[in-house]
Amino acid sequence: MDAAISTAVSGAAPVTDAPPYMSVQRVQKIYETAGGAVEAVSLADFTVTSGEFVAVLGPSGCGKSTLMMMIGGLEPTSAGRIRVDGAEITGPRADFGYIFQDATLLPWKSVLDNVLFPIKLEHGRTRDHLERARELLELVGLWDFRDKRPRQLSGGMRQRVAICRGLINDPKLLLMDEPFSALDAISRDDMNAALADLWDRYHKTAIFITHSIREAVYLADRVLVMSRRPSVISHDVRIPFQRPRRMAMQETAEFNEICGFLRRKIEEGYQRA
Amino acid sequence: MTATSDGARKKPLLPTGVLAGYLRQILLPVAAALVVLVAWEVSVRVLNVSPVLLPPPSMILERLQELFFPLLLKHAIPTMWESVIAFLISSALGIALAGFLSSSTLLREAFYPNVVLFQLIPKIALAPLFIVWLGIGSQSRLAFSVFISFFPVVIATLAGLDNVDRDLLRLCRALRASEWQTFREVRLPHAIPYVFSGMKIATTFAIIGVIVGEFITSQAGLGYLILFASAQAETALILAAILVLCAFGLVFYGLVAIAETVTRTRFGA
Repeated sequence: MDAAISTAVSGAAPVTDAPPYMSVQRVQKIYETAGGAVEAVSLADFTVTSGEFVAVLGPSGCGKSTLMMMIGGLEPTSAGRIRVDGAEITGPRADFGYIFQDATLLPWKSVLDNVLFPIKLEHGRTRDHLERARELLELVGLWDFRDKRPRQLSGGMRQRVAICRGLINDPKLLLMDEPFSALDAISRDDMNAALADLWDRYHKTAIFITHSIREAVYLADRVLVMSRRPSVISHDVRIPFQRPRRMAMQETAEFNEICGFLRRKIEEGYQRA
Repeated sequence: MTATSDGARKKPLLPTGVLAGYLRQILLPVAAALVVLVAWEVSVRVLNVSPVLLPPPSMILERLQELFFPLLLKHAIPTMWESVIAFLISSALGIALAGFLSSSTLLREAFYPNVVLFQLIPKIALAPLFIVWLGIGSQSRLAFSVFISFFPVVIATLAGLDNVDRDLLRLCRALRASEWQTFREVRLPHAIPYVFSGMKIATTFAIIGVIVGEFITSQAGLGYLILFASAQAETALILAAILVLCAFGLVFYGLVAIAETVTRTRFGA
């Protein structure tokens, strides 16, 4: 059965003449430490088409966050290069949206001002973006909380604010680094549903880092499995489910079959290490 | 013996509850102070201590009433005025220097250890130097007061500016914020509580600076009056002047605390 999924899905990037929206070309990250060189990412090589939701799934310490930092231009690569939308990544870009593991909201700003923070930094007129901020906050059910301070919100609510902030400047590429890993299981399901809804509406290209198999399968069009030592992308699995995605989907045999397959692949990675 | 037995639940000594809690916070220290004052009054009278050595509190209050207007007030005004000006200068200077030092790693690495080392100098010993440099006018007192009161502001502000959550700084980087934007939008608001804790210490230091300056050279001010009164063996007047100084220090500190509350509700930090 594994083989069936594997052959049906792995390496299934669509074959077209147009250059891919994003290409990660033989990228490597090595940190020089006092104890010698540490390979954070041994080798990453893949492409992403426009509008695709790609989850990078792996155990902690496999280098998946480092990979995202390099794609986002927050960390330089040690070797190889990353191109997005025809240009090589040299630093953070205005057409990217970033969502980190912690909501990282400014505690002294209101929910609304936090969402509008990227616009303020770009010297944009926040008034022009008020409608969009309203639309986003209404979608995640937080418009009524717009004047609250982050400390008055729950962890899940704060992370929803962070998602709105990541989407406020209408980014072409959304980079999410384990955005829900600090939440409890119930809020997490909630957030997955909220993100899936946002996805159906805005349909961005996205890189989603996670160590939750179910989350990856539920949200993504494609799951890249990353292993530890060596830190490489061991499997590239296409997720065949239709959109819009529904929570009930998680109870189907096919869903669980794919989850099981991915879990075994992750375990194989462990055994090799 | 454990408190689990039935009879162990004693009635509290003082009433409990929210209002009572506030009252306790005010009444208890006041009561404690009153006890000390009464003990002082009684023991001085009973032991027949000379008022030159230690006058009873009632005598100090009497002197305060007699001499507050115009003598004590006349001398209090220049002291208060100079303390406030010195405090304002040292706060502005301290925040600016901290901002400057935090703007580059090179600057901070070069100067911060020196600032800390400088703080270890017994700065009061340098007071006469300021008179050599700036003469016997109010400039030397002001300069000395600024000199000793701005260190706490620098150190506290620097701590606040540097202590920012690394995730927030990464967010700023991701959003391509300039150094100045990061400073204004993240570092400075984060530092506000720290800045105020430094400024609260600075109020006390500014007063100390002015008083020491007045001890060394002046024709007016509470420091001058204290020195003058001690030459006359007017112990009650010395203590009355100190009482005025305490009241001023309390109000000064209180005003800064209010400014902090206002700023923090504004920025919500």
